[in-house]
Amino acid sequence: MWVLIGSFSFTGSAPQQVIPYIKGSIAISMMVFALMIAGMSNLPASIAGDRANGLLSKLISMPIKPYKDFIGRISAVITLSLLAAALVIVVGIAVGARFTGTGVEIPQAVGFVFLVICASAGVGLIIGTLIKNLQGAIMTGVGIAVITSAISGLFVPYEGLPVPLQTFARIYPISSAQASIVHLLAGPNMVAYNPLTSGQIALTIALSFALLLVGTVLYSRLGWKLE
Amino acid sequence: MLAIHVENLVKTYDNRRVLDGVNLDVPEGEFYALMGPNGSGKTTLASIIAAVKTQDSGIVEVHGNKPAQAKEFIGYVPQENFSSPKLSGRENLVYFANLLGYSRSQANQLVAEVLKNVGLSEEADKRVAKYSGGMRKRLEVATAIFPGIKVLILDEPTTGLDPTARRAFFSMVQEIMDRKTSIILITHIGSDAELASRVGLIDNGKMIAEGTPDELKRKHAVEDVITVETAVKTDSVLSVLKGYSINGKVAESEAGYKIYSRNGDRVLADVVRSLDQAGHKVMRIEMARPTLEDVFFRLTERNLQEAMDN
Repeated sequence: MWVLIGSFSFTGSAPQQVIPYIKGSIAISMMVFALMIAGMSNLPASIAGDRANGLLSKLISMPIKPYKDFIGRISAVITLSLLAAALVIVVGIAVGARFTGTGVEIPQAVGFVFLVICASAGVGLIIGTLIKNLQGAIMTGVGIAVITSAISGLFVPYEGLPVPLQTFARIYPISSAQASIVHLLAGPNMVAYNPLTSGQIALTIALSFALLLVGTVLYSRLGWKLE
Repeated sequence: MLAIHVENLVKTYDNRRVLDGVNLDVPEGEFYALMGPNGSGKTTLASIIAAVKTQDSGIVEVHGNKPAQAKEFIGYVPQENFSSPKLSGRENLVYFANLLGYSRSQANQLVAEVLKNVGLSEEADKRVAKYSGGMRKRLEVATAIFPGIKVLILDEPTTGLDPTARRAFFSMVQEIMDRKTSIILITHIGSDAELASRVGLIDNGKMIAEGTPDELKRKHAVEDVITVETAVKTDSVLSVLKGYSINGKVAESEAGYKIYSRNGDRVLADVVRSLDQAGHKVMRIEMARPTLEDVFFRLTERNLQEAMDN
């Protein structure tokens, strides 16, 4: 829906030949947001829901390792995320989005998509572990996704952000991964800074995996122990 | 050999002792009911035995092992309906079998057998959303009777079931018992607890009595129980009834009032006469043997429903 609205709302004054790529970058931003919602809201909702309906107690009582549950949840998030991503990109193309990336850029972009999924799932696992209530988990996830998207340049141009938020946008692995995907698939002109320097890439990878690691450790230590 | 050994178990939440020095021994193959109101600590005790929660202090052993090391022996059925309504009964069971490491063909074979044991073979491929409450609970018990299970813990399994479903449920439990599985039934329903070979009454985190249902009734509820239903419930009715009950204790229930007497036959007639003289119409009066709820009332001076409401 946002891809549709965005593609007509934010391209008015742009030169005609650039509009398809602006639409492409909007589609990518919305795809990243969809991935954030899947990881940060759907994942903790599934954990809180399973806690409320007794499934988590049942699983804990069984002779199975937490990683099996973890793998199941992450697989579900990856599947949901990829479906959501594909849907958003298809809708984007249908409303005129075009992409420049053709060769090696595509697998590189997929790598950054994977990092967005890791970081979002990490945040989702932290929320699911700490927020026990179903509605609370959903709202917290959506809230974090919306707020961090807004202050990290996912919904507004990076150059329009105050300097401290520009710094945040470069550090926050999801927004820097989004900028990298836009850079790779919609062209460098669509990004206000170069997110593909080796230092920036290393930071994005490190923080994405760090979030996933923190979420995994918290979930397996605290989420699987009902006091 | 003991299936379950619990010694001086303590568990605290927010500075409140939910379990306060609980002791419990359940021999192999026994059907044991743990009965008490909500908040009495019975579910916490069950979840510690099931390795879902940990105690603050005390000893818990399942077949001589700590619960976390005995998970392969424990079949736990939480109170909530944890099966997925979107999947069929068979798919739900295959999911649990796969988690336990059974291959696809092993899981299919095992699930067919388990479904037969709980009487759901014919409904196996229906979505659980279409199951009745009793069928769904039987399916969930099926997840807890895979091979190797020696202790089955059922937390409030009959809550919300109608009498027919409840009978079907306990027929299934009887068949499981025949396989020498020890069963711990958590309940607040006296008629469910009556089916067990031994009953522990728990209140405010302490075991207040334990024994066979008959022992408990003989020891703690020697009186006859007279149930009186009047056209209206008033303080005046209560005042009349208090005069006939031992220590003036009158329990109120949906069915009316319950009074306790050592000479029920004589008191029955006197109660009717006194209520009549006070202008109260008696709709129904009957004398019955005491139930486990009556035992709970005699021990705590609260009836079970009242204790649950509080």
